Parts: sequence; structure tokens; C-alpha cells
Amino acid sequence: MTRAVRVEWLKFRRSPVVIVATVLMVVLLPAIGLGMFSVASDDVSGPLASKVQGLLIGEGWTAYLGVISQVSAAAVFVGAGVVAAWVFGREHADRTFPSLFALSVSRRSIASAKFVVLASWVTGLAVTVTLAAALAGVVSGVGDSGLGEAKGSLSRLLFVVVATGLLALTAGYVASIGRGYLPAIGVVVVILAIAQISVLFGAGAWFPYAVPGLLAIAGSEAAPSITPIQIAVVPIVVIAVVWLTVDWWRRAEVV
Amino acid sequence: MVTLISARGLVRSFGKERAVDGVDLNVGEGEVHALVGLNGAGKTTLMRLLLGMLDADAGVASVAGEHVARAGTSTWSDVGYLVETPFFYPELTTRENVWTAGILHGVEEEALESSVQRTIDLLELGHWADRRAGGLSLGNRQRLGLGAALIHDPTVLLLDEPANSLDPAGVVLVRDLLRARAARGAAILVSSHHLDQLARVADVITVMHRGRVIGGLDPLETDLEQRFFDLVREAEEQVPLELR
Repeated sequence: MTRAVRVEWLKFRRSPVVIVATVLMVVLLPAIGLGMFSVASDDVSGPLASKVQGLLIGEGWTAYLGVISQVSAAAVFVGAGVVAAWVFGREHADRTFPSLFALSVSRRSIASAKFVVLASWVTGLAVTVTLAAALAGVVSGVGDSGLGEAKGSLSRLLFVVVATGLLALTAGYVASIGRGYLPAIGVVVVILAIAQISVLFGAGAWFPYAVPGLLAIAGSEAAPSITPIQIAVVPIVVIAVVWLTVDWWRRAEVV
Repeated sequence: MVTLISARGLVRSFGKERAVDGVDLNVGEGEVHALVGLNGAGKTTLMRLLLGMLDADAGVASVAGEHVARAGTSTWSDVGYLVETPFFYPELTTRENVWTAGILHGVEEEALESSVQRTIDLLELGHWADRRAGGLSLGNRQRLGLGAALIHDPTVLLLDEPANSLDPAGVVLVRDLLRARAARGAAILVSSHHLDQLARVADVITVMHRGRVIGGLDPLETDLEQRFFDLVREAEEQVPLELR
């Protein structure tokens, strides 16, 4: 599979979609967090301030990183979903799919390599977003205490981005069976809507795609408790998506 | 002569339409075998079946002595092809595209860089080697696709309309490449609409119509075009009126 990974990594790092999505998430997530934290903390009155204050849980670093985690649970799902949709769907949209048959590298290896590259990118993205959020917080003087107090919140942000990014790989499966990235982007939006609705009706903890978002608000009065079983369903969904996608690629025909 | 490409009673339908309908065909070592037919005759579907891009409803397809349904990556490393769209990633440079094809076709690591350069020189793509492939003309994309099919020096070649979009110099280049590969023992199955081009390169010409093999043409005979249309007309007259 090493050969397939080398090829997929080259295509991935040359992709304008990947570059734009990565830069947007790394820059905008801390910026949004900082902006919301400032609006809520500066004794500003008005409907926006009161709305944002409702999103903050705790104070200082906990509030600042918590709001970034909440935004990440939705934004990373869309960003990583678009990237995953592109990685798999572009082979159909650009009509390169037939060129992936009759090779000395199997299609199963090619699909697996796409997931290896995507999962590595999600991990790198999570680390970068977390470090960027910490740096922006230090520079802006978030909280009275040092960064040492923020360890728990930083770990939670890291986990939320990783879990959300891996769940967004579902778009890769939809892009494969839908033979293009547009159906996958549509499904990303629908899943996001269902996650919101399931949380609204109190069933979010049983909908795996809502779990990272619920973890982001854990500790607040509004947050339902999440059991270890409900958290364990998240990696099971990710593994199932990978298995289904690789199997589809193994069996697929050119149409 | 060893048979390297073979179809035995190959059938593939799409709904009620039989795109390939009981095709038998052999291509031997060192042979250039041309497929001709009108649009929709089944040439591309036949090539897809031979490359494992489609599963056959009935019959057996074999390449390099292996049934396509069972062929593994070692069998495919002897096969090169250009079917419909050229191998082409627009965000990569021409050189990176050829490198990618070399990796996927199993070119040995130590020979990879020299194979990439040799292929770029062979297809006369040096001027565009380090430019993004998205900016290439259609003709140069086709040359790139041919390079991707040839980089690993395959013994089995399947080329669907290889001269598409090429300028006259490109057409001559393809012709010379095919003859040179065949002289070195490659089995080549090539489709084209251009009978005059095929007559200059093919050892055998098979005519397809409505998914079936309806006859052959002698590349040396005069007025190939007239003979081709005679065969198609005769075949069409056998088709029930309600199916025409």
C-alpha cells in the first residue's frame, strides 16, 4: 500500500480544495473563538452579546477553548467532509476512475491509502488547530491563569476535532457510491441538520455524529450525559465507513 | 504465436441492450489487432471487459495468460491501456503525472526516474514537463495518457482511439510507437474510426457492429472504407426491423 499512499499524498497536497479548507479551519476557528470570547467578556450589552454569553461555559481558558470546540464540532465536519468528498469524488468528477483499474496497485489499496492520508491530515489538523488556539489565547491574554490550567480544555478540543474529522470521512463513502463529490456534500449538510435536531429532541447522545458536539459542551447545564458506550459508537461508525468504502472500491465497475 | 489477449463468448448487457454479444477474439504476441466499428458498436465495452473495468455476464476474458476475473496485480503490471479518458490529474505537473503512472504500474524504484524521463522524451512532452497538466492542450493530454500507458514497457496494450486529438505529427508518432512495441513482442489491441491509419499499422482488422464481430478486413486490400460499410450494411440487414 506504500505506493498508493505516495500517490495519494502527492494528489492530496497539490489539491487547492485541501489547501483552502486547511487554512480556513486553522485560521478561522481560533479567530472565531477569540471574537466570541471577546464579545461575551467585554461587558458589551445587546442581543449578540447575550447570545454568545449563552455559549460560554465557565471562565477564562475553559470558556474560550470550549467555544472553539463547539464551533469545531460543526465547522470541521463541513470542512473535513468537503475534503473527504473531494478525495473520493474527484476520481469520478475528473473521470480518472477508469485509470485506477488494471494496475499493479489494487483499488482496495488505493481506497485504503486515501483513508490513511485523510486520517493523518485530520490528526495534523487537530494538533495545528489546538496549537493555534493556544497561541492565539496566550497572545490575547485569555484568562488570568497560565496555559497550564487549560490542559483539560485543550485535550477536549483536540479530541473533538479528531472525532469530528474522522466522522466526516463518511463523505468519502457517499462520494464513492454517488460517483461524485456533490452528493457527498449534500449528505454532510443533511447529517449536520439531523445532529442538530437530535440534540434538540434530547436524543443526540445516541446519534454518533452529534457526540463530538455534545462533548464540546460537556459540563454545562444544557449538556446531556454521555455514556462510554455512546462514545464507543463513534469509532465503530468510522471503522464501518472505511470498511464499506474499501469494499465498494474493490467491487466497483466503470459505468 | 502466444495469445496474450483473448475473449471467448464474451457477453455484457446494460439493461435489455447487449453491448457485447458473444465476442471471440485473440491477439497474439507481436500482433497489432485493430477493432473498427460505428459509435456504439461495443469496442470500448469490449476493452473495458478485457481490463476488468466491467464484469462479463458470460464468457471469459484473459490477458497475459490469466483470466481477468482472477487477475492480480502481477498480471496487470504487464498491461498498459488508454481507454476513453487519458490518465490525467490536472493539479499535478506532466512529470508528476507520468511518475504517478509509473508508481501505479509497478515500475521498480531504481528505474522510476529514468523511466519517467524516457517516457517524457518519447512522447515529446519535455517542453511541458514541469507545468501543471491542467494547462495542457487536448493533444498533449492524449500524449500524456499514452505515456502513462507505456511507462512500464507492457507486453499487453489496449488503446481506444489512441490518435484522438493528436496533430499529424502525433498520429505518426503513435503509429511508429505501436509498430516498435509490436516488433518487440507486445500484443496490441487498438480501436479507431480511421481506417486509413489502421491499414498502416494493423496486422488484423476486426469489424464490430451491435456488440458482435461481423467480419474482418485485410489491411492490404484497397478501398477498405467501402468494404467496411458493405459488412455493416449486410449485418444491419440481418437485424429484425423492430430492433433497428
